[in-house]
Amino acid sequence: MVQSIFWYLKEFLRAPWIHAFLFAKTAPLVTPSYFREYPSLTEKECTHCFTCRMICPAPGAIEVLQEGGTWHPVIHRGHCLRCGLCVEACPEGVLASGRILQWQEEDRTSFAATFHIQVDHATCMRCGNCCVSCPVNKEQDPQMASGGHSANNEVIMKISSGRHTVIHEERCVGCRTCEGACPNSAIRVARVVEGLQGVAEG
Amino acid sequence: MKRVVDVSIPLGPVHPCWKEPARVKCETRGEKVLSAEVELGYMKKGIERIMRGRPWQEVMFLAERVCGICSVIHNMVFIEGMEAVSGITVPDRAAYLRVVMNELDRIQSHLLANFSYCYTIEHETLAMYLLNTRERAMDCMERIAGVRVNKAYMIPGGVRFDLRDTDRALLLADLAHLEDSVHRYGRMFDTGPLIATRSKGVGILMQEQARIARAVGPTARASGIAEDVRLTHPTYRKLAFTPIVRTEGDNHARIMLRFDEIFQSLGLIRQCLHDLPAGPIRGGGTCGAGETVSRGEAPRGELSYFIRSDEYGRILDIAIRTPSIPNIDACTHHMLPGVTSLADVTSVFVSADPCIACNER
Repeated sequence: MVQSIFWYLKEFLRAPWIHAFLFAKTAPLVTPSYFREYPSLTEKECTHCFTCRMICPAPGAIEVLQEGGTWHPVIHRGHCLRCGLCVEACPEGVLASGRILQWQEEDRTSFAATFHIQVDHATCMRCGNCCVSCPVNKEQDPQMASGGHSANNEVIMKISSGRHTVIHEERCVGCRTCEGACPNSAIRVARVVEGLQGVAEG
Repeated sequence: MKRVVDVSIPLGPVHPCWKEPARVKCETRGEKVLSAEVELGYMKKGIERIMRGRPWQEVMFLAERVCGICSVIHNMVFIEGMEAVSGITVPDRAAYLRVVMNELDRIQSHLLANFSYCYTIEHETLAMYLLNTRERAMDCMERIAGVRVNKAYMIPGGVRFDLRDTDRALLLADLAHLEDSVHRYGRMFDTGPLIATRSKGVGILMQEQARIARAVGPTARASGIAEDVRLTHPTYRKLAFTPIVRTEGDNHARIMLRFDEIFQSLGLIRQCLHDLPAGPIRGGGTCGAGETVSRGEAPRGELSYFIRSDEYGRILDIAIRTPSIPNIDACTHHMLPGVTSLADVTSVFVSADPCIACNER
């Protein structure tokens, strides 16, 4: 009994023990620099190519908006999964997250994508909402009004002779705006993405 | 046959020992459990339905979110299925890096499983030690992929990020630290007299019973069945993988088997890092149409994905079979009946490491 009291006294009256008891402190929580955070904007200029929207797996997580004459991507934090695919896919390096951009430059990794527009003519109502909402159509033919009719043959798709017609599938950027605009979910854009390494971008 | 049942005792769905909601109904006479039944369905997500019509870059993230604890293997099995469908080959370096990531995930999953067992038998000190050790495994994965849980590391034709030499050195140092800690805590578990009274001879699953219930993973291997899907995986075959088997079939064997598998995983990672060939990490290749069944060894056992895709690589049909389904069956129909104390029901159930999130998708 007395022995054990002495043992405990000897154990606890050591300077390191008292110091640890009084000044014990948990290491502060630090987010490491390599953590894949929500994508942040770098200083580089966005060319509104919509590649980030094309590759984003989460609905409504990223938008490319024009404000004061310049385009820039906007990340909606409640929807973003922090997967970092937009950072990897952006050809201009507009977005940054963790070490992804740095690694991408070192390893020369990239994503390449092709797009295929599929319209189900049984459910398509020829309303033209897809053609009007398409941002590429808007650049080619700013005059395109509701109904999706156009005299311009440089657009991706239009309503021609009462039928939805895809003219330039290769111009599609895969942003899926048309899918959201279609009231019947009749239009679908297949995005065939492949991960590459050592191939020059562009 | 008419049976005298004292009372049917429900445990759960909200229970301090369960990580996820499930209800175990035990028919008891006195303290003895006569039979048990598990009710599931408290967290159905419908992920397979959401996956349909989507390309790999979206389904990959959904597959990971089937289960947060074993997210890497879900990603791996799905991506390997898409590669098999489309005839994509993976560069050697990427194949090795996949194994590194998968084994790191297995380590953290086994540590979490052993944590919950120790927590269930109220050995909270050892439980917290194990949970603390798990953080180091999580940090290793964060250094490679950038995040701790849903890594999204593998893509068709390779992996997303390469392993840097500096990170590799740090990883090896972490592995040494992990090995020390797991060795210490594994020995604590193995030699603890009170742990032994709660674990040895409790919840016995005989080999024949395991076969009848088609138990998989550590639950089957602790009952003497040498089954592991990694035996058929090409990269693991290169690494000369052989499964660890124990024959006792009780709670103690299942937990010790997981400790042993952690050492095995550490060995596999070291071997991968040693043999890691130089070269590209992505081989390219687009996904196409086809139908396949892809299998892989999750931390809890065999995981399989049935995949049917269209010409642009979009999922037409997908069915996921997770390892916890047969393991829960083995637990309720073979381990729980005959348990001599109701206090052991929770520990027996947790020792089979049921993952309800996997189960209900």
